[in-house]
Amino acid sequence: MTKSLQKRLRFFVLAVLIVTMLLTARLAWLQIYQYEYYVAKAENNRLRELPITAARGEIRDRNGEVLAKNRPGFAVSLLDLEKAYKDEVIALLSEILAVSPEEIKSKIATQQYKSFAPIRIADDVSTEIVAKVAEHQTELPGVIIETTPVRIYPGQTLAAHVLGYVGTIQADQYQKWGKEKGYRISDIVGQTGIELAFEEYLRGKDGAEVVETNHYGQRVRELGTVPPVSGNNLTLTLDARLQRIVEKALADIIVGLQEGGNSQAGKGAVVAIDPNSGAIRAMASYPAYNPNTFNQDYLQLMSDSDLPLINKAIAGAYPIGSTFKMIVGTAGLEEGFISPTTRFVCVGRKVYFRGEPPRGCHGGAVHGASNVVRALQVSCNNFFFELGKIMGIDTIIEYAEDFGLGKPTGLRDVPGEVKGTLLRREEGKPWYPGNVLTAAIGQGHAITPLQLANYGAILANKGTHYRPYLVQTITSPEGKTIFSAEPEVLNKMDVSETTWQTIHEGLKAVTEPGGTGSSLRTLPVKVAAKTGSAQASQDDSILPHSLFLGFAPADNPEIALAVIVEHGGLGYQAAVPLAKQILAEYYAEDNVEINE
Amino acid sequence: MFERRLWRNFDWLLLINVLAIVGISLIIIASTTINATSDPLFYVKRQAVRFAVGFFLMLIIVSIDYTYFYRFAPYIYLANVALLLLVLFAGKDSGGAQRWIDLKVFELQPSEFAKLGIIISLARHLAAQEGNFESFFSSLPAFLHVAVPMVLIFKQPDLGTSLVFIVILFGMLFMAGANFKHLLTYIFIGIVVGFPLLWFNMKDYQRMRLFIFLDPYKDPLNDGYQIIQSLIAVGSGGIHGKGLFAQGTQNYLGFLLEQHTDFIFSAFAEGTGFVGSVILLVLFMFLILRIIRIASQAKDSFGMLVCIGVATMMTFHVLVNVGMTIGIMPVTGMPLPFMSYGGSSLLMNMMAIGVVLNIGMRRQKLMF
Repeated sequence: MTKSLQKRLRFFVLAVLIVTMLLTARLAWLQIYQYEYYVAKAENNRLRELPITAARGEIRDRNGEVLAKNRPGFAVSLLDLEKAYKDEVIALLSEILAVSPEEIKSKIATQQYKSFAPIRIADDVSTEIVAKVAEHQTELPGVIIETTPVRIYPGQTLAAHVLGYVGTIQADQYQKWGKEKGYRISDIVGQTGIELAFEEYLRGKDGAEVVETNHYGQRVRELGTVPPVSGNNLTLTLDARLQRIVEKALADIIVGLQEGGNSQAGKGAVVAIDPNSGAIRAMASYPAYNPNTFNQDYLQLMSDSDLPLINKAIAGAYPIGSTFKMIVGTAGLEEGFISPTTRFVCVGRKVYFRGEPPRGCHGGAVHGASNVVRALQVSCNNFFFELGKIMGIDTIIEYAEDFGLGKPTGLRDVPGEVKGTLLRREEGKPWYPGNVLTAAIGQGHAITPLQLANYGAILANKGTHYRPYLVQTITSPEGKTIFSAEPEVLNKMDVSETTWQTIHEGLKAVTEPGGTGSSLRTLPVKVAAKTGSAQASQDDSILPHSLFLGFAPADNPEIALAVIVEHGGLGYQAAVPLAKQILAEYYAEDNVEINE
Repeated sequence: MFERRLWRNFDWLLLINVLAIVGISLIIIASTTINATSDPLFYVKRQAVRFAVGFFLMLIIVSIDYTYFYRFAPYIYLANVALLLLVLFAGKDSGGAQRWIDLKVFELQPSEFAKLGIIISLARHLAAQEGNFESFFSSLPAFLHVAVPMVLIFKQPDLGTSLVFIVILFGMLFMAGANFKHLLTYIFIGIVVGFPLLWFNMKDYQRMRLFIFLDPYKDPLNDGYQIIQSLIAVGSGGIHGKGLFAQGTQNYLGFLLEQHTDFIFSAFAEGTGFVGSVILLVLFMFLILRIIRIASQAKDSFGMLVCIGVATMMTFHVLVNVGMTIGIMPVTGMPLPFMSYGGSSLLMNMMAIGVVLNIGMRRQKLMF
């Protein structure tokens, strides 16, 4: 062997040693120096923390009937963005879910930077879709099926406006609550009604499951679970039986009006309050929506001119009309402008202020001499014009406010109550002497059906303004009471018993022969009431709103009822039969139960 | 034929070294494929049978005096070229490349065998030159000798394997006594002229693969995916490794792809850690050094050059394959000798070892 060859062989050996050392050095770098980094990466590859959505609390009526609960459902989510964002995966997913690839991409885009949790692509999918996704699992790396509770409302439209509905957290809600309260971008939260107002109670605490996944995103085994904690259950003050009666009667009457040729009718609201506590027993707004199919119906609901999404019972403001007259009567008696026996004579149309057109009773009626009781019974405008004129606007407004008008009633259990307006003297606004007359018969004010019912309750309980409320108790999933509502007195009117008795006498006379609500005399329970036909427009072709305010039983009130049928015509044409149907059914069934 | 003096020169250590690596290979293949088929040992059994066949071929080769290979070198060369032509026109298409001939019981990959064939024929060619490399162009015939099979393999396309030929050529030229400066000049010319030529003849995925290892996160879903997952597997193995058989999560959860073929080293390194990896590298190093030792003792330049060719080939394979799994070499689809699952590679390497053992056994020039 030559020397040169020896040298070259040594060179060759050196090359082999260098290769070995180079590889060893690189291995040392990866396996020793960067070990932690790669271990974390490997863990990240295989371990997934999957949230387990907690069930929302259930909502029941006062007797335990379930108004909102949950059923198990499936959702399709993306787990592993890196792999899931492949075009083929999105294309296949779009085919299976029947949503456009763009929609999926936009969901990914809006969610991926905000949370490490799975990205929800489709909520509450059918079992067929679940089966299809499972079948194509290897072609859908990173796509998982999550089981999530789905909110359902067994009563369909029952108490829809009170309960509200749930939906995926909105951008502004997420902005507001997201970080602080730990919401995920795909969470289902309350959007309105009780669902929104009691979100923090109804919402449960999500659990989590740590699973080992393979590179398809399929779970290989479970490593640990933190179980979810359901939300708290609510028991409402609502009486589902009454609520059902109210909703049916409201629909019956309005549909009846429409079928009878009243093309203006179509909307209405009813509120029933327990005058002894302020507990709301029924609250209905027509037309309603079905929170179960809310998402599918959304566009149609939004474009409906009858505004079915609005809870007219708290957010609709209407002229109060003749149902206002008890306020003027109470003020007159209490402030000494009249006594129970004071009479004013109604001779038909009359000019009260020089330069004004004459005013009179509805249909030009002439009631002759009446005291306050008779004036209420026949709803004599002239009596209250006379009384209003001598009393002045400020006393009227003062009493109206005491009866809870012109300001919120204090209902906090659902959002969206409006406060309405009173026709009051305001600086910078022209004031006409005749305004006091308008105000005295309830025109020019705007009140909500809730205010009307609350006012009825104050009349019924003789002066106590209880805060109206809807949630009676909140109980934890284990059954522990977290909150129990107590009646809360917001205002107590200092009005004499005589005055109350006089007013009650007038209201009782309404449902007797000769009164405007005499048709109610056939009910199994004595009702104290006042009807109203509130002028909705100066235009005579626009029908007035039909109103009813009453409480029953008259001598021992347990329910105060307010009814408004928009453009229902005169009081006796819509509101009175509606109230009659409600009270008849409510008390009829009560009797049946007692007899049994 | 099997005289005692021949056995006395038989390099048992080399054989044991090979057996050790094959043994490790079978364990790793078992560990990586245990859940792949209904028969957990399906792949291991197949590879074991191939090893047995390879061992048998090795014994046959050992028993034939290697001077016959010298004599038949031109036919070996022609037979290899013929097979490569065959694969190009009648080969089995797999993943965009035609590399295999389907023999029903076995899928023959002629390019693997061509490595050994060309080593033998080139060794004869260079030995005949008797160290006469004064002229700059004196290596040209050797280049042309290698160019024919190389171009055929490049056309399959199989960039990695065709590059092996160049490296083998340079290794053998160097040991055949070619002028060192000339060799450097060739390399320089190769880079300046050859590389652009190569580049424009490459398919897009080959170009991508060639450089993605420098920054695998540039395309983490496709070409970079394997590199990233392999780095995670190797790195997370740590010093002692996660253990074999379903302990290495990268491997058994399927994040590693081709974990029993081209990326078997990743699975091994994940399971056995730095300690195991270095042991395996040292085994390869001993193997190659052992082959170089036999080269240094060979009785003629043909034998020496064949050994050098084999040593160069194995070194390059180890460097490129292991380098690929640890992110310092491009992904070229080159198997790790004796380790990667696959028949042609194992058979060829066993045969190559047979040839080397043969040369070692017949090293004494003088008979008594």
